[in-house]
Amino acid sequence: MCTDKVETSAHIVSQVAEELYLKCIRCGKCLSVCPIYRETRIETMSPRGKVALYRAVGEDDLPEISPVYASKFYTCLMCEACREVCPSGVELDVIMNQVRADLAHCGLLPDSLQRLSDIIVSAGNISDEDNARRLGWTENMASKPVGLDYDGQVEMVYFVGCVSSLFPASYHIPQSLAGILEKAGVSYALMGGEERCCGYPLLLNGESELALEMAQHNVEAARVTGAPQVVMSCPSCYHMWKHTYPEILGDDVLDGLEILHETEMLAGLARAGRLRFKPWPVTVTYHDSCDLGRKSDIFDAPREVLRAIPELELVEMADHRAHSLCCGGGGNLETYNRELAQALPLRRLRQAEEAGASTIVVSCQQCKRTLAGAARREKIRIRVIDLAEVVAEQIEEEPHA
Amino acid sequence: MLDPKIVAELESIVGEQYTLTTPEDLVAYSYDATFTSAKPDLIVLPSNTQQVSEVLKVANREVIPVVARGMGSGLAAGSIPFGGGIVMALTRMDRLLEIDRDNMMATAEAGIIASELAAAVAREGYLYPPDATSDSYSTLGGNIACNAGGARCLKYGITGHYVMALEVVLADGRIMRLGGKATKNVTGYDLVHLIVGSEGTLAVVTEATVRFIAAPETERMAQAFFPKLADAGLAINAVLASGANPSMIEIMDETAIKSVEEFLHMGLPLDIEAILLIQTDGDEADATRGIEIAAEICRQKGANQVQVATTAQERKDMWLARGSISGSLGRIRPNKLGEDVTVPHSAIPEMIARIKEISIKHNLPIVIFGHAGDGNLHPNILFDKRDPEESHRVEAAVGDLFQASVGVGGSLSGEHGVGVLKKPYLELALGPVAVEMQKRIKQAWDPNNILNPGKIFD
Ligand SMILES: Cc1cc2nc3c(=O)[nH]c(=O)nc-3n(C[C@H](O)[C@H](O)[C@H](O)COP(=O)(O)OP(=O)(O)OC[C@H]3O[C@@H](n4cnc5c(N)ncnc54)[C@H](O)[C@@H]3O)c2cc1C
Ligand code: SF4
Ligand code: SF4
Repeated sequence: MCTDKVETSAHIVSQVAEELYLKCIRCGKCLSVCPIYRETRIETMSPRGKVALYRAVGEDDLPEISPVYASKFYTCLMCEACREVCPSGVELDVIMNQVRADLAHCGLLPDSLQRLSDIIVSAGNISDEDNARRLGWTENMASKPVGLDYDGQVEMVYFVGCVSSLFPASYHIPQSLAGILEKAGVSYALMGGEERCCGYPLLLNGESELALEMAQHNVEAARVTGAPQVVMSCPSCYHMWKHTYPEILGDDVLDGLEILHETEMLAGLARAGRLRFKPWPVTVTYHDSCDLGRKSDIFDAPREVLRAIPELELVEMADHRAHSLCCGGGGNLETYNRELAQALPLRRLRQAEEAGASTIVVSCQQCKRTLAGAARREKIRIRVIDLAEVVAEQIEEEPHA
Repeated sequence: MLDPKIVAELESIVGEQYTLTTPEDLVAYSYDATFTSAKPDLIVLPSNTQQVSEVLKVANREVIPVVARGMGSGLAAGSIPFGGGIVMALTRMDRLLEIDRDNMMATAEAGIIASELAAAVAREGYLYPPDATSDSYSTLGGNIACNAGGARCLKYGITGHYVMALEVVLADGRIMRLGGKATKNVTGYDLVHLIVGSEGTLAVVTEATVRFIAAPETERMAQAFFPKLADAGLAINAVLASGANPSMIEIMDETAIKSVEEFLHMGLPLDIEAILLIQTDGDEADATRGIEIAAEICRQKGANQVQVATTAQERKDMWLARGSISGSLGRIRPNKLGEDVTVPHSAIPEMIARIKEISIKHNLPIVIFGHAGDGNLHPNILFDKRDPEESHRVEAAVGDLFQASVGVGGSLSGEHGVGVLKKPYLELALGPVAVEMQKRIKQAWDPNNILNPGKIFD
């Protein structure tokens, strides 16, 4: 146990956080949206429970910061659904981030998460592969993406992200996006082995200094390409770049660089008439990922693209937009508690069924993995597809003039 | 601390995973939505009635207190284990067991989230009317134990009016079924409705059958802004006495409006003293006629602006403000004591005036909002628990509120229950004979006093 660190942490709690927890009136509203609580129905793992634990440390009501205490904070998707509904304005995200940072500082990061951090730091990616293998997804393509050897001025650099780069089941997403860019006549660059993990998993582990190193490297590498825009298909990379990089590296770090998520880029292309779609007579629902929707406030761009597809019917699930239900793939929970993480997507699949959708469109490779994996395990007949894949499938060969 | 042998016995009943004893768990099960707390010795999360029964047998044998708990959204400190012992959280017993369309009744385990039951009924095209504001974070069992009511209860009644049958477990572990699906039943005492509102002191509810009704075809909503709070009170009375037949009249006073506006930035006017939110339902013609009557009355009684929602989205937006008040008050002061005194319709204006006097007298902000149409005014005293002098004034103010309510013919609690917070005032409201009779009932059902001891009365 970490008794000497109790002081450190209690100190932090009493210094800055009293106003964080005192705002909690314990109404319980956050329980109604927390995916973990909805699954376990155990208060200790609920958002209100976490605030109470945090408070108990601040008020010396817990004897020590123990691994059990830590486990409650790692049993969290960092999805921020709780903060979104809290009528009292409790900044649960600030509390969770602070506690995770304290825990890492105390040496209480669980082994599985410590391993993840070590891998990212040594390999530059989350799957312990040679970082030069980042272009593995391009290998089985009919023609090599032009972004591989771009020259001269390009419109954008595509930051592929670890999962899409290195997990074969996700290759189809970057392949689709590269194909769309080429068909729409957009020039772009790929960073290959120069791309590193965006740093988000490190931040979730409470290790912001390590995340900062990743951030610095990535921004520099992107600048080398000379592209004025950086586009990503991963909402977590996007949120890191767009919101966290300026926080940890300074406001001007992105000067001259526009950060775009694939959904914004696709909506822009559709609006500019650079994409034209074949009809797709399917009832789809759109799943807002936490990092893109609730945390980055991008709700309309993906829906705009879907509405541009003729004959497609878009229906909403019970929990949508800012109140979207996390797929279960957030917060490094999958690394920390795989069994629980795998139980979570089922509720989301049921919501899609109840909405009458046969297809769930996502704009996140992690949501796709999580939801599609659960659909397969539970034998639920519902298709999960990334927006880039939808567009690649439905795009007319001849783009508009 | 419980004897390790007993802990082991409990573990063997509900499983080790669902017998919680870590210091962290004890913290998490020490509170409800009030500002008080006390830790249990242990928490069990049973998954079926048999386990509930087995746990109670052990507790009764060893004379260990057992506090039933739903989602801990209670506002009377009812599920807080002041005497330690076992907290029995029913949350894992959350299965919907049956929707019986022929009899228009649904059966579910006690731990089901109330709004999930209502949603399941709605999916079949019907309405389960009880609609506590907290219905997405409270359980059916908790709603029954507190006889919860919501905005709609003005027209449709409260939880108890819908409970047809119960499965309960007695203090000694015996399982008992009460009531049934027959809509008229005078076979002996009405024990179903003795359990309703009993706050976990007579038995643990494990399953319930509730009635549902045909959903009204449509709803209409209006929002009226009153420069004077007293006028809003008079308007409520006038609307109730008219033929508008509202399904809901909710009030928000000045402080509530400011607090919620700060939270949501909806553009509510900040120079008025009250908003009334009125809803009618039924078929198109009835709902429309009703809302028009109500809107006209509000104008006559001094509203400077009355809006009638024309779309479902507008109705939702109007309701959003009301639904967010309770929580948003934490932004003003860290603690609030939400009372739910309920007075007869005729006394609503008088009670509003008295609440404001009490606020001034004790120099404490008191916010009024809630289901005003049924006289349930929800005065909330805002304060800071860390200031002992202020806490003292709160106690005095609460006493005055109860005096005032009883004085105009009202009750101590419309929906939250007595718990421990209203215990000292029970005799004031009921008189000594009724309290004595209630205690005798408790003794008959729970001779060892293990079920939520110290709640309602000592
Ligand atoms: C923001 C907010 C708004 C609210 N709005 C309303 C409202 O509109 N209307 C209203 O009526 N209430 C309201 N409440 C109060 C509260 O939500 C209700 O009293 C609710 O019924 C409590 O349910 P619970 O599951 O949270 O029970 P808990 O708080 O866990 O327990 C409440 C009481 O019920 C007993 N109990 C719980 N489950 C069982 C069981 N299975 N068997 C026997 N006893 C049991 C407990 O022992 C305790 O005495 C509100 C609360 C909050 C915080
Ligand atoms: S919603 Fe906010 S105030 Fe209510 S219990 Fe959760 S954190 Fe506390
Ligand atoms: S961030 Fe998400 S998973 Fe974590 S406590 Fe809040 S709602 Fe639950």
